[in-house]
Amino acid sequence: MFESSEYYISFTPSFNTCFMNLLAYFLYLFLTGMVTIRAGWLFYKHGGHYILFLLQGQQNLADTINKLLLTGYYLLNLGYMAIMIRFWKPVHTPAELLGSVAGMSGHIMLTLATIHFLNMTVIWWFARSNHFIHS
Amino acid sequence: MKPSLNFMAYLIYLPIMLLLTWYVAHTLFKNSKVFMLDIFNGRTEIALSTNKLFETGFYLLNLGFGLTIMQIASELGSGQSLMEALSTKLGGFSIYLGVSLFLNLYLFFRGKRVAKRKAQLATSFQNAGIKP
Repeated sequence: MFESSEYYISFTPSFNTCFMNLLAYFLYLFLTGMVTIRAGWLFYKHGGHYILFLLQGQQNLADTINKLLLTGYYLLNLGYMAIMIRFWKPVHTPAELLGSVAGMSGHIMLTLATIHFLNMTVIWWFARSNHFIHS
Repeated sequence: MKPSLNFMAYLIYLPIMLLLTWYVAHTLFKNSKVFMLDIFNGRTEIALSTNKLFETGFYLLNLGFGLTIMQIASELGSGQSLMEALSTKLGGFSIYLGVSLFLNLYLFFRGKRVAKRKAQLATSFQNAGIKP
């Protein structure tokens, strides 16, 4: 009786942790994947007008920059998203599960926002310097 | 073992955080269209696109920050500690939201001022007969 209960206790946490971690990974991948793809699409769609305005109607250049930015954005974020899983701590309870998923997703979203605002600033600078060269 | 209240704290914190972010972003970017139209001299398409870009960035930034600060390190044992932890988190988050709201407003006013100065410069050039 005692031995079987000890057996049970020693094996439950590892199974539980494994399952909880997997659940956390799936939740996290689904959430951040949706957010990344949706935000990337929104940036691509609305960023086109913004870049075209700053480049004073150079359609080809604007399209190229927009596509390159989208590709870079997806590569960077999906890669970062996948690598973050490597540094996940063991999850034991539902509270830890929710906390870790939220923390990791929050990091990804902060990165997305930083890259987005950086892109907007860099294009603005680029357009200004380009304008000075041409005029 | 007494069950910890952390999970409950998260379940209370998450909806309030999401609702607060949504409300602030919705209010700010509904009213910022006026600024954007002024900044881009009434060109609706580019004004609305830029508005949307800022809105998406605002959502990502604030939701990301709200989710990052969500974790409560200590085990909450009582209703009192739950209340205290929640009020610290939610209060801090709403102060942060207020600061980012004012920062955005400052940016809009600045953009409007710059656009106005440019327009004045262009008209004075035209009046003097100089092509800028």
